[in-house]
Parts: sequence; C-alpha cells; structure tokens
Amino acid sequence: MKRGITYALVFMAAVGLGHYASVVAAPRVIMQVALTKMSQGGKRINSFQFGPRTTEKSRGVVRPSPDLAYASCVYDLSQGPVLVSAAPSPDQGYVSISVFDARTDNIAVFDTAQYPQGIRFVLAMDGQDAPQGEQVVRAKFAKGVILDRRLAPTAEQFAVADQARRSNICAPVKS
Amino acid sequence: MAEARISRGKLALTVVAGLALGAGSAVWATRAKGMGGEDYSGWSGSRVTGSPDAGPWLRAQVAFSGLLALQRSQAIYFTARTDSEGQPLREGCRYRITGGAMPGKWWSVTVYAADNYLPVNSDGALSFDATEVKPDAAGNWSALAATRPEPGLAWVSTRNAGQFDMTLRIYQPDRSAQDDFRSIPMPRITRLDCAGAA
Repeated sequence: MKRGITYALVFMAAVGLGHYASVVAAPRVIMQVALTKMSQGGKRINSFQFGPRTTEKSRGVVRPSPDLAYASCVYDLSQGPVLVSAAPSPDQGYVSISVFDARTDNIAVFDTAQYPQGIRFVLAMDGQDAPQGEQVVRAKFAKGVILDRRLAPTAEQFAVADQARRSNICAPVKS
Repeated sequence: MAEARISRGKLALTVVAGLALGAGSAVWATRAKGMGGEDYSGWSGSRVTGSPDAGPWLRAQVAFSGLLALQRSQAIYFTARTDSEGQPLREGCRYRITGGAMPGKWWSVTVYAADNYLPVNSDGALSFDATEVKPDAAGNWSALAATRPEPGLAWVSTRNAGQFDMTLRIYQPDRSAQDDFRSIPMPRITRLDCAGAA
C-alpha cells in the first residue's frame, strides 16, 4: 500500500516538474530554433537578411502577416555592441524596428512615426561600453533578433519597402 | 509481513513517465490557449504579449503561437476561434465580419489554419485591411470570410483553411486602446451559412 502511494506521489511530482520546466524552457528552445533558421545555421550573424514577400507558403515563423515586409538581423553581442539603423520607407508607410532577446521578450521597439528621419541605436549588453552620443538599448542576453517590419500589403508597396530597407545597417560597432 | 522495497527501475520509470506527461500537458495547454489571455467579445488578447512583464505561461503561449509579437505600444493582437454564436470557425461556412472605426493607424484581419500558418491557397486574399473595407458614414464596415469572394465586399479566403482562426492586428494603437482593451469596438463574426446545411 505504502509503495503504491510512494509511486503515485513521485509520479505527480514528476508531472508538475515536467510541466513547469517545459513551460519555462519552451520559449528559449523555440527562439533558438528560430534564430538558427533565420541566421542560416549561424552563418548570418550581425547583418540584415531580407525576407521575400509573405505568401501562403511562408513557414519561417508562425502566424506571419501577409501585409508586412520582414527583414531580420540575428545578433550576437558576445564580441561587443552592434549598431542598428533603418531608413524610413519613401511612402511614409509603417516601419518599426523591434529587438527580441533569447527569452522572446520584446526589449525595445522604435518606429518611423517617432523617428521620421530614420531609426538608429546601439545594442549592447549590460556592462559593455557603447559609443558616446548614440541611443543605447541594453540587453540581458547576448543573442536575439532584430526585426524590421514595413507595411507592404501589395506587390508594388513591397517593392518600394524592399528598396528602402536595403540601406539598413546591423553591424558590430567599430572600435 | 514486511512492505516490499521500492524498485529503483520502477521508480525511474515512474519519474520518466511523469516528466513526459508533464511536458506533454505543457505543450498541449500552451498551444490550445494560443496567444490570448483575456476574452474581449469573442476575441482573445493579452496586454503583456511580447513584454518583459509576461509570465512564464504567457511567454510560452506566445512562443508557440505568436513568436516575435510586438508589445502593445506598437501593435495589439486579438484572435477569434469562434463565431458570434460560439461555434468554431471552419472552411465549410461563410462568415460576415462587421466592425466600426478601429483605434489605430492601420489594422488587418488574417486567417490562419490550425497549424498556425496561412492557409495554402493561391487566392491572393490572405487578409483584408483598413484600406480594403468601405466604411459607411458612421464608419461601419463589412467583410467576408469564405472560400469565394462576393462583389463589393472585402474578402479573406478560407479555402484550405480547415478549422481556422482569425487574427486582428491593430498597429500603432491609440493610447486609450492600449490602456483599455475593452474600449476597442471588436469586429463581430456572423455565420451566414454552411455547406450542406439546409
């Protein structure tokens, strides 16, 4: 009898532990998979990659918006801060730059309504030196991704947005 | 009679089975809930999506069904899985979506299949947005979610969507909408008819 109760208690404790550990681990694991995919297996770090127009076949990230043009920069701050800049779209359409950390948190976001001349900032980890005079975003984790979203619901608007975003910068800060 | 001793092998098996069940239940629970926390007239959404304030459960839900979602200062997301009568949305039915002026610079409604991706069809109507609807003088608009369009109506195709859901995105929402989701006039999803129904 006692043996049965012991097994039952151990089983229930393991269920609870498995549930909670999975909940905590899932975002990091899913984010790591996404970062690996977006950086082409880790080959494209600290540089913007420009996604094609979202279609019914897009499978890079769940629930993509078919109305936006996406560009991504998978960052790694372990060697130092990264400079990020994005030009506005010429049609003044919606443009945002958002920074996500390894835990999936959206730690910073800027848009061209706030910065009509373009967005520019330095992304650095807590404790890293950043260049004077630059707007600085601090990250707790070395890795994550920066997303450029631009309103582009039609093929014509996508072409305009695509041309504008090609001047984006995501690169290590020169010392 | 002495109580039989606990077998290490059976104990290990019990632990492994418990961990597996716990992990499975976590995946099921987070996927089933989608991105949403609270219900707003049939649309679920959360005020802390994408935010560092999100708790572990919401963070896991977002990772499964809305990875890289923006925080509410930039965009607000709501998902509807049922029509106005509480019936699941499905490809075999036609739905009218009606709404009023949305409190943001731009908005869209997109259909997603059960796998959280866009339905695989070549209709070129994966969503409808603020520029496609034709509001009347009072700002009210109508749109259609169906496998085929109708003249004069903004249309999102549900072809090959199976049992689906719809996501409303409001970009650069007004301050009042950010502060109080209940102030947002959520669109209504009315089932018009279903294939095979009398």
